[in-house]
Amino acid sequence: MATKSSFTIVGKAARRVEGIEKVTGQAKFTVDLTIPGMLEGKVARSPYPHALVESIDTTRAEKLPGVVAVLTRADVKDINPYFGHCLRDRPLIALDRVRYVGEPVAAVAAVDALTAQEALSLVEVKYKELPVMATFDDSLTPGAPILHPDIQGEGAYHELKKLQAEIQTNVCHHEHIEEGDVGTGFAESDRIFEDVFEFPMVYHYTMEPHAAIAKVDANGITVWSSCAHPFVVRAELALIFEQPLSKVQVLVPYVGGAYGGKSYTKIEPLVVALARKAGQPVRLEQSVPESMLTNRRHSARVWIKTGVKRDGTLVAREAKVLLDTGAYADNGPRVARRAATRIHGPYRIGNYNIDALAVYTNTCPAGSFRSIGGPQSIWALESHMDIMAEQLGIDPLEFRLKNLLKRGDIVKSGAKPMDADLLSDLKQVAVKLDWKGSAKRRTGSGVGLAVGVTDSEAVPVSTAIVRLLADGSVVLMSGSTEVGQGTRTVLCQIAAEELSVALEKVTMHSTDTNVTPFDRSTGASRSTTVMGTAVRAAAADLRAQLIEIGAEILKAKPEQIVLKDGEIIAGEYRIGYTKALHTYFGMPGGELIGRGYCRPGGGMSPIYPLFWETGLGGADVEVDVETGEIKLNRFVGLADVGKAINPPQCEGQDEGAAMMGIGHTLFESLIYDKGQPLNPNLVDYRVPSFRNLPAVFDTILVENQDGPGPHGAKGMGETGIVSPAPAIGNALARATGVRIRELPLTPERVWRALRDKSSK
Amino acid sequence: MLRRFRLEEPESVKEACELLARHGESARIYAGGTELLLAMKEGLIQYERLINVKKITGLDQVKLENGTIRIGALTPHRKLENDPVLKQKLPAFVRMEHHVANVRVREVGTLGGNLCFAEPHADPGTLLMVLGAKLVAERASSRREIPAERFFVDAYETCLEADELLTDIHVPALPERAGAAYLKFGYLERPSVGVGLFIAWDQDAAIAEARIAVGCAGPKPKRVEEAEGLLKGKSARDAASALAQAGEIAGRAADAIGDLHGSAEYKEHIVGVLLKRAFQQISEQRSSKSSR
Repeated sequence: MATKSSFTIVGKAARRVEGIEKVTGQAKFTVDLTIPGMLEGKVARSPYPHALVESIDTTRAEKLPGVVAVLTRADVKDINPYFGHCLRDRPLIALDRVRYVGEPVAAVAAVDALTAQEALSLVEVKYKELPVMATFDDSLTPGAPILHPDIQGEGAYHELKKLQAEIQTNVCHHEHIEEGDVGTGFAESDRIFEDVFEFPMVYHYTMEPHAAIAKVDANGITVWSSCAHPFVVRAELALIFEQPLSKVQVLVPYVGGAYGGKSYTKIEPLVVALARKAGQPVRLEQSVPESMLTNRRHSARVWIKTGVKRDGTLVAREAKVLLDTGAYADNGPRVARRAATRIHGPYRIGNYNIDALAVYTNTCPAGSFRSIGGPQSIWALESHMDIMAEQLGIDPLEFRLKNLLKRGDIVKSGAKPMDADLLSDLKQVAVKLDWKGSAKRRTGSGVGLAVGVTDSEAVPVSTAIVRLLADGSVVLMSGSTEVGQGTRTVLCQIAAEELSVALEKVTMHSTDTNVTPFDRSTGASRSTTVMGTAVRAAAADLRAQLIEIGAEILKAKPEQIVLKDGEIIAGEYRIGYTKALHTYFGMPGGELIGRGYCRPGGGMSPIYPLFWETGLGGADVEVDVETGEIKLNRFVGLADVGKAINPPQCEGQDEGAAMMGIGHTLFESLIYDKGQPLNPNLVDYRVPSFRNLPAVFDTILVENQDGPGPHGAKGMGETGIVSPAPAIGNALARATGVRIRELPLTPERVWRALRDKSSK
Repeated sequence: MLRRFRLEEPESVKEACELLARHGESARIYAGGTELLLAMKEGLIQYERLINVKKITGLDQVKLENGTIRIGALTPHRKLENDPVLKQKLPAFVRMEHHVANVRVREVGTLGGNLCFAEPHADPGTLLMVLGAKLVAERASSRREIPAERFFVDAYETCLEADELLTDIHVPALPERAGAAYLKFGYLERPSVGVGLFIAWDQDAAIAEARIAVGCAGPKPKRVEEAEGLLKGKSARDAASALAQAGEIAGRAADAIGDLHGSAEYKEHIVGVLLKRAFQQISEQRSSKSSR
């Protein structure tokens, strides 16, 4: 594949391929589907954070007219009921005990949802309450009860070198990285700073809560799900129900938002087990409150200590990130792993010693969420950077510029060197923010900066098939899930560009694992880079076939052939793809198939990470000192995207990510009291709305065409979420002199800090 | 999810009251449904029967009669925020209505429903108290007028009898030398604190009448007469300097509850801030009016 300098489709503001379908309400989501004979499922959930399940009596529920099946632990004895892609620690339905409020204890399939709901109240469960590990402090207390005494081993997708729950503790994963000698580093430092920051539990509010339909029959298992990772779900279902992959079919219609909350396996095993028992297809459509108790982001406490020279040179760093992973591991081990690198940050520090621990508690399981471990560690790191700069009497911008890694600098041993121009990126944000002019501001208003750089979690394994049909239209088969991020448009653009056909000629359908080739997952900002590479390779394979066929028909040498606008051209001779196909097959039919693989060492570097994802941010705030309310005058985001395949979509992704970050910065926090969730609903849990948009919202896209993906693209869409919290916290500190170390920055928290400051 | 219930659709107030009398607490009036249905869907409350009063005609009008604005209880918020009579006679009420919940709720939610549901974080009750509103409750054979400050008994509880239907809200038009304001503050979906203020001046620009009410912070909106006393008879300047103390009294009187919306202490503080800002707003409107 030659590097291209001029594009016809890539880099253009192509309209969303599924846009009209969505805005006219024709797009089908899982909840819109009806399968013949389908029953409705409802789930009885634990009201206790930690309890033994002494007995379950389903007699009365089963007798209710309209109820077809009631599933309990008694129904999963013939299968391995545990799942978890990292650690198989989670039963699809409660076995001997429950470990969080909301854990499924029984599930009902009935002729309609109302009957199923009524039956739930007839399921009689006797619990014996156990001591509650409400926080990681409880779980880490010596002698604390062990939440998972018997984990069923590694999951299907652990992909981590060392992964094991620490025996007889509640630590589900402990990540440790170190280099140099921190002792010497601190000894050589002129100043040592130490801070502790807290990050709340937050929920990925998606417009579509989790939903799945399952059917179990002689053909095996079929599942329609709002999942983002259909191939992971397939693998886990195959393990649980002891089926070959070929007998597990996962179909993914449009997904109404995911943000990590639909990554990996969630409700699918339960729905399959229920359908298996009912002998009929079953749909489970969760409510938002139910989905709020299905998955969340890890809350965290971050301790960070840095040694610095008087001139601002960073020398040594120690950090410990405690992550509350809730009742089950889910993606917790990976979150810990990423948090460790992300707290290190994109700065030159020769000596570091970092620990990140995912700790079990009796709360909702925490998993992936847009930039795993990123917001937690970068909130701490970038706030800490400003605190140090202030104490050292150095401008925070200059302090960062002094220490930021330059392109090609080593971040940590064995990892890909820095592949972005962070200094010029940061300067651009500062200019947009009028950093220099901000010194003259009045009290109560100020600007703040933050640099977010994350090691992408992207696993470089994807497969794609491109089919040229007899009429010249193209079918792209790719397992990337359209969750609203626009991946279909981007992948179709990449295929169309490579095949020299109009974008309208290319169609990508939703995933059906029986026909769509393998993809690792949709997440970690990997689809454009990794799947994009596979799609481009598949299209290039098809292109090579067209050239060969064209050369034969036009009696030319392959190197004389040019493909343009759906035609094969050799000098003054030309033939359309359709006609070429007809000639080649000798009938008005047939099709050509191009295949593309992306794997480590095959189309993609085996060195981790594939790319460093950037999300720099600047905030301009106005503080109402009487109420403590923070207003955003401006937010500036910057993402180095390598090459924007579709610039408006990149801007949309970056602004969406920043807005989500503004959510956990100012509003969002899932609150628990002794294991009981206090606000699992959208009235008491506040998601930002349009009225909370910054008055001015700028997004800068940096395009150096230097990424590992197609045409130099690299992943984006996640890291935009990490900068708002530290940027706003830093702006608040510069505006008012108060430094708050706990999110969200609610008006009351700000008011209290202001009051405490003035009373000193 | 919504459980099964029976739907009654009376076509007159009398019929509705008879249904209420017959079914007692197992039935509930259904108007806009924006709060009731939400609570029923969540399974927080359940009724065997809902009495849909939207078939009753004539209860969604706004009329000005002898200096009193009569608002039908079934008038949706959206209509109130756009009503020409209200815009002219009670601009503070229109502003408050414009900020009730969101436009989807305002489109179907009714003023009467809002008052009768008595959700502590609702806005209209607090302002109606300082505007001197009277609520008209009817039963099959009688009717009575209830001053707004006596209407709310507790969170989700009003003084309506089981067979009474709220039909009208009567609000005196704003006198010539008077102003009113309602300000609220919060960061969750619903406000944490709401403050209503009414000020009337005499010919010498002294405050002849001051009414203060606080809502959202506690279980029900409340008039705070003790704080009003601090403003009465004072010039604008003297009143302004008494505001901090009036705010403290109003804050304490709010019966503020510490919850997800904030601590009691913070809510009390916000009452003071809002009272001060409401007074400023009224004063500015007054000076811009007099300068015209």
